[in-house]
Amino acid sequence: MKAVELKDVVKKFGNFKALDGINLSIEKGESVALLGPNGAGKTTIVKLISGLLKPTKGEVKVFGEIPWKNYEVRRMMGIVSHNTFLYDDLTAYENLQFYCKLYDADESKIDELLEFFGLKGRKHDLVRNFSRGMKQRLSIARAILHDPPLLILDEPTTGLDIEGRKELMKYVAKVGRKKTIIFTTHNVKEAEEICDKVAIICNGKLIHFGEIERDLEKVYLRVVGYEGT
Amino acid sequence: MKALEVAKKDLKIEFRTKGTLNLMILFALITSMMFSVSIPMSLAEKTAPSLLWLVFIFVGMLGYSRAFLKEVETETLDGLKISPIAPASVLIGKILYNLILMILIEVIILPIFIGLFNLDVANPVIMFLSVTMGNVGFVIVVSSLSILVIKSKMREMLLPVLIFPVVFPIITSTILAVRKSISGDLVGIFSPIALIVGFSIIMFVVACLTFEYAFSD
Repeated sequence: MKAVELKDVVKKFGNFKALDGINLSIEKGESVALLGPNGAGKTTIVKLISGLLKPTKGEVKVFGEIPWKNYEVRRMMGIVSHNTFLYDDLTAYENLQFYCKLYDADESKIDELLEFFGLKGRKHDLVRNFSRGMKQRLSIARAILHDPPLLILDEPTTGLDIEGRKELMKYVAKVGRKKTIIFTTHNVKEAEEICDKVAIICNGKLIHFGEIERDLEKVYLRVVGYEGT
Repeated sequence: MKALEVAKKDLKIEFRTKGTLNLMILFALITSMMFSVSIPMSLAEKTAPSLLWLVFIFVGMLGYSRAFLKEVETETLDGLKISPIAPASVLIGKILYNLILMILIEVIILPIFIGLFNLDVANPVIMFLSVTMGNVGFVIVVSSLSILVIKSKMREMLLPVLIFPVVFPIITSTILAVRKSISGDLVGIFSPIALIVGFSIIMFVVACLTFEYAFSD
């Protein structure tokens, strides 16, 4: 069984075709970067995989299940995006506790996770007082507290400074071991850091899918047609 | 059980920030006071049930619709959508949260309203039960329909337009039941109460069955 499978997926928003016949197959344990310029359709793919959107045409399956129909398959995913899904008026601990209950996860792991992400000293502080970097670290903790086999990272470094970005990528690399990873980004270097395969998306179409080559940036620029610009 | 967790989380946030609760209490107090000074005491008994409901409608529109709106404002609604929780459980959680707010408002406002209008309520227990049952129906309708308008820029205008036709039977029946409880003439009170209960149950079942479509994509 594949971890993620998209067959002839079309997604329209009104008359606008955000995705046009996407076929993508991700095996268990693979880490795949969805690379593409802004508006290419990366986040739409992530939303389809996470069950937030239904495809207009085609089929999306995660571990053999249709994510927008089957709520239980969502237990097998952890999602980190630029939106942290954290409640500003709850403490770090309370946020994780709430999500633990939604995912039926073991609450005893919360302290361990907070320590791993360097937030133990701030566990009783309201999230509204956290920096962007701290919120993103807590967001990763939220995404992995139920130990999902599939980790989806949707431009998690957006809004972070260079240091914050480096630190976050370090954590992602650590927690992503032995997991299937889908990582959307428009930053080639970030893709190279943690992924072994790349899917280049442009204008809603999958135009390249394969192992990450040595000179990914050149490949990327060539296939999205930006070379020389 | 997950519905309870959603309600608990919302209550924790609400009691910490008191944003919605304070707004609702303040608004209910101001409107009650304005009504009491503008209505002659001789008409108080006849007009009080309708005015009491006007207060609850204003306050409800203001407060109950915020249960989902806050999730949109804090960008956490998608966090619920990607979680392994049935949409109906999210709705039930929001209804439970709103019901608790409603009971708090009712416990505070009802005695003040009775005092301001100098009402001599013949059957206060029936009055409280009638208002509560009416409010339960109102909360179910507002909670379930508010998801439809949260992404609209004109939600403040759209929500009353959507809600009033639906809650009209509840409002009229509750006003009738409250009037009877004030006068003490309980003959025929069963019909409006049965209508409120029946209507609320139907709305709740319909909302749970259809909420998934409003909640997703």
